[in-house]
Amino acid sequence: MSLSDTVAYWRYRVVPDHLLGELLTKRWIDNVIPAVILIAVVATFGALIPDFFSAGSIGNLLRQWGEFSLLVLALMIVMVAGGIDLSVGSTFALGNIVALALLNVAGWPVGAVVAATLGCGAAVGLINGLLVGYLRLRAFLTTLVTLIIVRAVVDMLLLKYSVAIAAAFVDSDIWFFFGEGSVAGLPFSVVVTAVVAIAAHLILSRSRIGWHVLATGGSRRSAHNVGIPVRRVICLTYVVSGTLAALAGVLFASRLGGAGADTGIGLEVAALTAAVLGGNSLGGGRGSAAKAIIGSITVMIMVNSLVRLGVTSGANSLLLGLVLLGAVAIDVRWLKNRHKVLSKVYVSPVFAALPPAPGTDAGSPYALNDRLRGVELIGLGEIDGPEDVILDDDDHIYAGNRTGDIIRFLAPDYRRWEVYAHVGGRPLGMAFDRDGNLLCCIGGMGLYRITPDRRIEKLTDETNRSWFSIVDDSRLRLADDLDIAPDGRVFFSEATIRYEMHEWPVDCLEARGNGRIVCYDPATASTRTVLKNLMFPNGICMTHDGQSFLFAETWGCRVSRYYFAGPKSGSVETVIADLPGYPDNINRASDGTYWLALVGMRTPSLDLALKMPGFRKRMARRIAPDEWLYPNINSGCVVRFDDRGTILDVLWDQGGENHPMITSMREHRGHLYIGGLLNNRIGRLKLPDSDPDWTGQRAYWGRS
Amino acid sequence: MILKAIDNFLGRGDAAVTVPPLDGALRPNRALDEAAARHRLDGVDCLTVHGGRLLAAAGDTLLTLDAAGRWQHVLQVDDRITCIEGPAIALANGAILIDGRRHRVEGGCITAMAITETALYVACGSARHRPDEWQLDLLQRGATGSLWQIDLATGRAARLAAGLAWPSGLAIDGKGRPVVAEAWKHRLVCIDPAEPARPRVLYGDLPGYPGRLSRSGDHYWLAIFAPRSQLVEFVLRETAYVRRMIAEVPQPYWIAPKLRSGRSFYEPLQGGGVKHLGLLKPWAPSLSTGLCVRLDAAFQPVSSLHSRADGRTHGITSVVAHGGTVFAAARGDDVVVALPEA
Repeated sequence: MSLSDTVAYWRYRVVPDHLLGELLTKRWIDNVIPAVILIAVVATFGALIPDFFSAGSIGNLLRQWGEFSLLVLALMIVMVAGGIDLSVGSTFALGNIVALALLNVAGWPVGAVVAATLGCGAAVGLINGLLVGYLRLRAFLTTLVTLIIVRAVVDMLLLKYSVAIAAAFVDSDIWFFFGEGSVAGLPFSVVVTAVVAIAAHLILSRSRIGWHVLATGGSRRSAHNVGIPVRRVICLTYVVSGTLAALAGVLFASRLGGAGADTGIGLEVAALTAAVLGGNSLGGGRGSAAKAIIGSITVMIMVNSLVRLGVTSGANSLLLGLVLLGAVAIDVRWLKNRHKVLSKVYVSPVFAALPPAPGTDAGSPYALNDRLRGVELIGLGEIDGPEDVILDDDDHIYAGNRTGDIIRFLAPDYRRWEVYAHVGGRPLGMAFDRDGNLLCCIGGMGLYRITPDRRIEKLTDETNRSWFSIVDDSRLRLADDLDIAPDGRVFFSEATIRYEMHEWPVDCLEARGNGRIVCYDPATASTRTVLKNLMFPNGICMTHDGQSFLFAETWGCRVSRYYFAGPKSGSVETVIADLPGYPDNINRASDGTYWLALVGMRTPSLDLALKMPGFRKRMARRIAPDEWLYPNINSGCVVRFDDRGTILDVLWDQGGENHPMITSMREHRGHLYIGGLLNNRIGRLKLPDSDPDWTGQRAYWGRS
Repeated sequence: MILKAIDNFLGRGDAAVTVPPLDGALRPNRALDEAAARHRLDGVDCLTVHGGRLLAAAGDTLLTLDAAGRWQHVLQVDDRITCIEGPAIALANGAILIDGRRHRVEGGCITAMAITETALYVACGSARHRPDEWQLDLLQRGATGSLWQIDLATGRAARLAAGLAWPSGLAIDGKGRPVVAEAWKHRLVCIDPAEPARPRVLYGDLPGYPGRLSRSGDHYWLAIFAPRSQLVEFVLRETAYVRRMIAEVPQPYWIAPKLRSGRSFYEPLQGGGVKHLGLLKPWAPSLSTGLCVRLDAAFQPVSSLHSRADGRTHGITSVVAHGGTVFAAARGDDVVVALPEA
């Protein structure tokens, strides 16, 4: 390997480029910018204010923060559903005055006071909810009006009761515990907030109503179309918001015990700033309790620290406004550009040097010939993309097609055909088990079974999640080919975990080894991954010893053997290291050897590009996929080899007239049946020297 | 330098790989493949009309097409013919034969000629490469071509312009000035002998690499010998890849425009070129196509004749009109097609 190749090899081996793209696919990546801002704010004020980190300072801050972040949570819930609630500040003030009046003037017991106050907040929320949700008024204007009206009510109540409140003396430990008590060293308000935040998180992320809220905010029209009661959901968010604001008011009342005219003034702006700064989108649909918490901490620290630094109150508001403006700008830009950045960085090719390709001229074991010229064509123009073909005991042919059917061509002449089963997805590799069930790998779905009476049963669509993967790799994206061990275990390949079925060319461009081989055990109905980081594992075929199987790695241009039992259990051996093309399915031949389909041939230009990951990455960014350099899958061949990897036979269709792309072949009673993923025919070739009675069923299960 | 690095990172400016679409007068059709008359001639490269008959150069032989549509031997010369124009025959060794006289220009690599009453204009594609090394010249982004004027009376040769990016076609416009097809810059430029330092672009940003030009009455025919493609445009900007490709990949399998592509499975394949249901799509990106453009007196396109990705008339190196018929030499498919000049 040359020096530049060595450098490239290590560069792409050491730096995991693909992780950046995978990080950007996670929903929680939205929290990164708010978290960075929070850290910056803490660092700045921690450096500016001498005793910023002292216990007293933090304790004081925490108690205020508990109340404030309840308001932010309230606003967040409304915003997630696509609305806005400007009345939280007024409702907070209303909660404060109502609680104090009921307690000090009316002399109600504490429990009743809390319940009545929360009910009062909920009533304000309900008014908002009815107006915005059911009458469909504009959220902004409606809650602005509520803000003014509720503020007016508070002022009237103040006028009437403030003297009485100030005069009365309350003697209730529970009441003062709300404002001054601690639970395990944490102020009570913080505990309340934590409970509310955790509940909000669980509801939004795990519950039906939470998903309804997110869906309504994400797209009101679509939510309505799928049957979500949009109006009720929106109304409910305002009720929750009003209740939480009143709860904050109760805590505030308990802490300070006084009613002033300036209570809650400007709080809505601070809460809005916190919510948006935390990353809750103003457009709705994106938001979480964590974002609300991060935002509220940031704003709380900023406001308090500025006061402690002696900044005048006007400048304080100005700063808050500027921060809100900046947060909105970031929100909009981030939403708009995240997917663009993602699409630019997700594709991350690596260095992949293939061994030199053997030639195809005379004298090579792969020497060109025209032996596939003589195929009979079955179903020409009637089948769209038979990736795999298989025959049953009665000689019927089964093949999947592009529209998710398994088509059965009826013996003996195969002129008639029927839809054997409509399974959906993209049916790929197939195998018959001991009981005559047809097992099928379905791209986009998983491993399925079709019983002889045509019932379709899912065997598995997920495997164990890897410990250290960023993306959730438990779901099967592209189950490709399978084979069944003598003990009934099903081994199947999943070609790639990073891309969907139709994106396979991108996986080729990456050439990383994104695929794996998975084992499904019907005895325990469990699924687990047995081999990882394979380069587009494709065909799988049991060897005759009952302890191992052969598998082909398409982009690796090699065939390997994996032992799942016996003394070599768990080990992998390379059988053919340097194929001149890209291997696809492997199947048994009648004489104890194996058939291998080469779906396409290696081209020197792509082999070189595989050693230049930067070139491929730029190509993926700059030019349209139709213009990308592909493996040459317009020419392929069928190869026969033995388990030592010796090439015994090769069948070509030069020029690709009938079989430009061969993805599978199946021997059955002296004939070879040939399928192609993008072809519209099944080829049938007579094999003069093979056992005319041999069938796959008999070789596997001893049946005739 | 910094701006260039930013462009390169973002794929803007010079690093953009846009190719103009085939639209307007260049809308695709199948005219070349559907031509009624197809005259096979191995190695056919250049066509001209002289003495009232159509002449074709193939290898070291000059042939003419008889009334029955068969090729008749006219003349054999001592080297490969790179270009013919009227009575003039240019050879690979750099000699130009006119009616038995020999002329010579510096550099050789004669790709095109144009003749007037008094002068012969000669285009030399490159100072570094032979005519059949045009792919290498493109990949190295060569700009060493030149334009020469030979006085027919005295035989004196004068260089009109240098530093051209593979001039591959020549015609004389209505005012007697030479018009050059500058292949690697995808344009036709008019070079006035009075002020050769200031070439004027007549038709820029062509969707292919323009080749030989010929005059027919008051209009012109332009042969576009290979299409531009996004992939090639991209590869041209990847100097490290190009360097290694030239060194490590056999020339027939380069990512480069071709006169004929898709014959070997070792050639690069692009996504749109994958056969679906046994068919190659006509719109598939291809390293070779067939394209002739009819230009008006001001060298603006009027109509075009195509052979698309799935066609069988690729790599048009020369097109001439003679007696109401257009003859196009498809070097890629070793055939001369004839169709009525509409």
